[in-house]
Amino acid sequence: MAAASSALTPSVNSKSRIRIAWLLLAVVLLGSFVFALWPRSGADTIAAHTARLSREFRCVDCEGLSVAESATASARAARADIRARIAKGESDAEIRAVFIDRYGESVLLKPRGDGIGIVVWGLPILVVILGAAGLGFAFAKWRRQPRLDASEADESLVAKERESSNG
Amino acid sequence: MKSRVRIVAIVVAVVMAGLAAVLAINVGRDPRADANRSRLLGRDAPAFDLPLLNGDRVSLESLSGKTIVINFWNSWCIPCRQEHPALVDWWSANKDDSAVTMLGIVREDTKSAVTRYVKDKEVSWPIAMDPGSKAALAFGTRGQPETYVISPSGVVVASQYGPVTVANINEMVGAARRVG
Repeated sequence: MAAASSALTPSVNSKSRIRIAWLLLAVVLLGSFVFALWPRSGADTIAAHTARLSREFRCVDCEGLSVAESATASARAARADIRARIAKGESDAEIRAVFIDRYGESVLLKPRGDGIGIVVWGLPILVVILGAAGLGFAFAKWRRQPRLDASEADESLVAKERESSNG
Repeated sequence: MKSRVRIVAIVVAVVMAGLAAVLAINVGRDPRADANRSRLLGRDAPAFDLPLLNGDRVSLESLSGKTIVINFWNSWCIPCRQEHPALVDWWSANKDDSAVTMLGIVREDTKSAVTRYVKDKEVSWPIAMDPGSKAALAFGTRGQPETYVISPSGVVVASQYGPVTVANINEMVGAARRVG
């Protein structure tokens, strides 16, 4: 009975292996989030910086294109304006503020991280966190399920099997 | 165990209720509503200094003290052609009024095409080119035709996206005159 019980209970080794696996999973998940959200740095030329920022703004007189992609005169003017502002030393946030002031929030192709934009960015993260918490609770609950003791009939069945295999 | 489940359920319910409230508040809000209204309304008009077709220059400063009707247009845009008779009628009735003026600013067109159009249609109000679309950008235009009315004190009082009628222009000019 003691042997059967130890076979059903995870050993200390396998417990720590499970813990390490969970830890690795958490590190990979956290690392992915940090990598995805970490601001890209590096030597940006004015042209590259202009192209990057231009991709954030909607071309106001075309459908579904960014300022970077459109060939209209207004998009060209917007790119020239962005380039001039970058050359003057204005920050990305300042340039975004100018475009929002000029056209409103709808000029942004990517929702901002405040106001209703929080829902867009935050909902998937919230779903992942709640899902992980739910799984954690479920696993904990399953682990706490009481193990059933073997009945006398079970014991005699096992004893018979042993005898026949030994005999 | 039960109390922990209850706490989790309450947290989830509160979060879901919060999300539902945010969505309910914003569900009727058109995220592109600001695309239908100029952000310049009630603000000082952006400064400009542009070459006229006749070789002179025109600036906001040179027109200050007058009510200014600014019409962004070009020769190839169909709605601009549709509104043209209204601009002609309004200008005929108001060109002798020294307190008001109209300026056409060309948006995305060539000088030769505009010159031909102006000659064919006998456009008699001043027409300015907009090299580099700087004025169009400063006014935050989204297309053409677009009409802005600036009060004598230099504030953008009214705007219209799309073709105007004589009544539209009179209404906007009236508002600008009231602002002063």
